[in-house]
Amino acid sequence: MSTLVAPFQEDLEAITADVWGSFLDVDGDTPLVAGAPHRWAEHDATTSAVVSITGAWQGHVIIECSARAARMVAAALLALPEDEASEDDVADAVGELANMIGGNVKSLVASPSALSLPHVVTQPGSHQSWPGAEEVCRIDGAWNGEAVTVMVYAGVNEGKS
Amino acid sequence: MKILIADDSRVMRQIVTRTLRQAGYTGHELVEAANGREALDLVGSEKPDLVLSDWNMPEMSGIELLRALRAGGNAVAFGFVTSEGSAEMREMASAAGAAFLIAKPFTADTFSDHLDPVLA
Repeated sequence: MSTLVAPFQEDLEAITADVWGSFLDVDGDTPLVAGAPHRWAEHDATTSAVVSITGAWQGHVIIECSARAARMVAAALLALPEDEASEDDVADAVGELANMIGGNVKSLVASPSALSLPHVVTQPGSHQSWPGAEEVCRIDGAWNGEAVTVMVYAGVNEGKS
Repeated sequence: MKILIADDSRVMRQIVTRTLRQAGYTGHELVEAANGREALDLVGSEKPDLVLSDWNMPEMSGIELLRALRAGGNAVAFGFVTSEGSAEMREMASAAGAAFLIAKPFTADTFSDHLDPVLA
């Protein structure tokens, strides 16, 4: 049984850096750079992917990024030029990113718990709310100048020691 | 040799294919399945030498696939490639008959470490 009740900020940073280093920044010259929270405009095109963890620990792991960043993720993972990635490729790629980070977060929280398949949403702006859950850690990043945010939300009774 | 790659993500099947190549496993025939059920059928018809399977898939999960194979008397070499690499998952995989569990994200070196003993 895991003793952690919630992942810590440094865990999320290590997991995210590992994913980037393996698949999105293989040469080490395009890291995800931490910065200030991104303010989405009403009509900005964004792509979000979420995986949920249910069981002994309840929460969500969410990737939210610009539509351009999402296309770049698909292009990098599929080793394709950016304009050749289809909408399905983009949804698959961002969903897989959430799955990888979510699976690693799941390894840190109380067990037994289960990881959902990823859900991907494209929308203008960012209007997400997660009733019954609160943010426990977050990375506001920029990748090749495009906004990428990674968030972990925990059920309101989780994440507090 | 024939390797069956089972993952509901086409992107991840592509990454696994590329990583196999980067790890030096060239010249093997690759077969793909989008879920455990499809993989189960393909193991029967294609008779692969190794199955590389995701854990969390629609229709039939990777662990259900492995248990179905072993219950049916099929001893094909089987390894997981999954985002969930906790000690608990590794124990469950091993108890069901998996040769290894590679946690995502991975590198070509990780593939070599786990696949060399199986494909040698």
